[in-house]
Amino acid sequence: MANKQFKTKIENALDNKVLRGALGRFGDAYTISREQAYEGYDFTELRENIARVKSYAATHLDEMLDQFEKEASARGAKVFRATTGEDAKQYILELARKQGAKRVVKSKSMASEEILLNKTLQAEGMDVQETDLGEWIVQLAGQHPSHMVMPAIHMTKEEVADTFTEHLKRVNEPDISELVKTARVELRKKFLEADMGISGANMAVAETGTLIMVTNEGNARLTSTLPPVHVYLVGIEKLVPKFEDAGYILQALPKSATGQKITSYVSMVTGATPAYLPDGSVQTKEFHIILMDNGRRKMYNDEKFKKTFQCIRCASCLNVCPAFQLVGGHVYGHIYTGGIGTILTNFLNSEKDAQNPQNLCLQCGKCSEVCPGKLDIPEMILEMRNRMGEKEGLPFTQKFALDVVSNRRLFHSLLRMASVAQKPFTKGQPVIRHLPMFLSGLTEKKSLPAVAKVPFRDVFKNIKQDVKKRKGTIAFYAGCLIDFVYPKIGEGVIAAFNEKGYEVVFPDGQSCCGAPATYMGDRKNARKSAIINIEALEAEKVDYVVSACPTCTHALKDSFKELLEDDPALAARAEELSRKSLDFSKLLSDLGGLTPGGDGEPLKVTYHDSCHLKRKMGIYAEPRKLLSNTSGVKLVEMKESDRCCGFAGSYSIKFPELSGPILDRKLGNIEASGADVVVVDCPGCLMQIAGGLDKKNPNIRVIHTAELLLEKRKKMKKKNKK
Amino acid sequence: MGIDRTTELYERFKTKLEAVSGECYRVETAKEAGQLLCKVLQQKGVQNVALLNASISRKGTMENQLGEAGIVVMTDHFREVTPDAHAGITQVNYAIAELGTLVQADADANVDQRLCSTLVPIHVALVSTSKLIPTLMETMATLHRLPRIPGFVGFITGPSRTSDIERVLTIGVHGPKQLVVIFVDEQVEEVA
Repeated sequence: MANKQFKTKIENALDNKVLRGALGRFGDAYTISREQAYEGYDFTELRENIARVKSYAATHLDEMLDQFEKEASARGAKVFRATTGEDAKQYILELARKQGAKRVVKSKSMASEEILLNKTLQAEGMDVQETDLGEWIVQLAGQHPSHMVMPAIHMTKEEVADTFTEHLKRVNEPDISELVKTARVELRKKFLEADMGISGANMAVAETGTLIMVTNEGNARLTSTLPPVHVYLVGIEKLVPKFEDAGYILQALPKSATGQKITSYVSMVTGATPAYLPDGSVQTKEFHIILMDNGRRKMYNDEKFKKTFQCIRCASCLNVCPAFQLVGGHVYGHIYTGGIGTILTNFLNSEKDAQNPQNLCLQCGKCSEVCPGKLDIPEMILEMRNRMGEKEGLPFTQKFALDVVSNRRLFHSLLRMASVAQKPFTKGQPVIRHLPMFLSGLTEKKSLPAVAKVPFRDVFKNIKQDVKKRKGTIAFYAGCLIDFVYPKIGEGVIAAFNEKGYEVVFPDGQSCCGAPATYMGDRKNARKSAIINIEALEAEKVDYVVSACPTCTHALKDSFKELLEDDPALAARAEELSRKSLDFSKLLSDLGGLTPGGDGEPLKVTYHDSCHLKRKMGIYAEPRKLLSNTSGVKLVEMKESDRCCGFAGSYSIKFPELSGPILDRKLGNIEASGADVVVVDCPGCLMQIAGGLDKKNPNIRVIHTAELLLEKRKKMKKKNKK
Repeated sequence: MGIDRTTELYERFKTKLEAVSGECYRVETAKEAGQLLCKVLQQKGVQNVALLNASISRKGTMENQLGEAGIVVMTDHFREVTPDAHAGITQVNYAIAELGTLVQADADANVDQRLCSTLVPIHVALVSTSKLIPTLMETMATLHRLPRIPGFVGFITGPSRTSDIERVLTIGVHGPKQLVVIFVDEQVEEVA
């Protein structure tokens, strides 16, 4: 889906060592400082409160706007409601003309970046100065911000020094404290001479008509204090109902944005305040507030995107995003970057502008975990992807592949053919999970496994199930990778549940879970897969349905229900399937786990959390316990165990250049743990990590939990026999 | 507030403020605050200050004390003098122990108060120890209980800072480079 120009942008970003260095260093430091900042605070409770007050404001938007206008007006503000960015610009332009304003200072204003306000004012001959240091730097350099909170994170001190030198016509050394001093001196003049101040706000309190700005440098204080005319340009998403509601956001915003307990300055302005006029007298300021829609209302009126109102623009979703950390903000192409930026771009710019950036999302869900506004960003990006897929259709190869996958007979016979066809080729013919081989691409960084000689569905027929004290029946949903590439995992699953007293059945009609279609934006084929599997699995007849792939489990539990909402009969069956479907380690733990056992042979094991298992299902303690209860196994934690391995389904094919470095980081963390074996619960992660280790460190094995349990217990039995 | 409670809050405030590069002192009387102020400013080589008229500075006869210490004191025309003053002395309404935060919340949204605390390289804030509030959320409630929300409420936590170039922390950008807070135990009349 990604076009050539976009790919080039990504390549350039990846080649930019400075950018990679800065983003990497920041990403590492951010995680730690954020944690420290929240120490002693209940993040869960805080985000509940933020979500509550912001969603109230979203569902009472007109009431909030009216109340804000009334209160602010009563305190001397002139309030204007701008439907479009153009309206807002015209209003400011006319005001500036009327006031004879020539020199403008700005602070805190992503909204003005959004509508390209500077251009309009400069075209009128006005001198417009950004006053936030980072924004001033990018303004001088003729660029736009690459991060919501740190606009110039992509530049080195050398580049800043050169930019200053060129602009100020005198040499600036690349010494950071000197550069900051220069900015102080230069901008001081601008503040003192300004006729007009323009700023945004982080919050607007409906109850009191108060605008709140959060800054560190002091520029917002100066902008809101010195000029005799001030305009606040405020997006309508900034509203909170009550004054104390702002307290929740004040607690979370700095902690999530920069890992500070609070910023150096918080300024709350209620109505027009006094200012010095040019004649030296102190008078009430000419004070304007623009409440701007510019596409926001459309976004909140859309049920699937209403929650974006809960965003407090802290940018923590960017800071933890594996893709953003590699490419930075400029690749996203518009003002708002990263996960939330992609969604905002879709509504505030255009769907077309969001088409490329939305592809960057790995769907790893790390952003949702840290979001203080409780937004499910990947879910919303997926919705966008689906809508785009429905509207524009997918590119031919993708569409063709997905059509094949959702045709069980064709797909399976192709896979069987592949297992034969691959023979003449060298090692590492590609098979990508859930996708037939002709779609996949070779990658430089990793080997790919071959299709198994005998698929699990055939292996299964020859497995003798030894069930003592029979308790019930479990249907095993294998998913394509276990069925056709890793049948051994299936054997492990069956052995474990047999030991617990369950007979396992393998419904032959099962097919791909539809995740590839779901994640590529092909809802039609995903729906087809859902129906095939619901009918095949007949959940009504078994006690449980188990899968050993978290992505499949997520499909069985959640996606099928959503896809079939419109069909009551199928929806009921989907509901039944959802209730009975569990991931391998979860079900095994729920059933009490295995009796302690194992061969006692020392084995140092580290565990990699799959994104779907940990963040979609909250399962991370269970597999660790299963492993620890196995005699001989010593579990050592790796750094960032829940960070995405870069597989992310078709992502690794679409963006091998991004998937590669993400995998590298994972491999580094695995190696550093000193483990002999890395255990995973997702066949996709297994394939990705195994491929990487094969090239980098073949001494470390990768294995699925079910398979490790099987291995250790088989060896135990052998030992006991001797 | 009992003595122990006050001391506990003060200590918490001090720890937090120092963590963000601020200086924190506590004295018993306004007079002592004046003496301390002279000492601190002399140490910093300050030769002139913008002094905002407020209850603690009046009670502590700070204008006189500073003058006697050889420091030039400016008490009006702040728009003209603050851009070049070496230091500004203000009194703030509250202090938040949880964060080491000062709160400016004058009913009249005093513009001079803001100039004396923003344009100067060194800001000295005087505050009554009794005005310590434990948490941010309690501060929001306190502000809300005022007859009306002041036109300008400013929270100040340490000196101005930026990390906009290569994520390197630098103290003092557009606002003060140094922040000195002096708590005064003696009760004086409300802030003018």
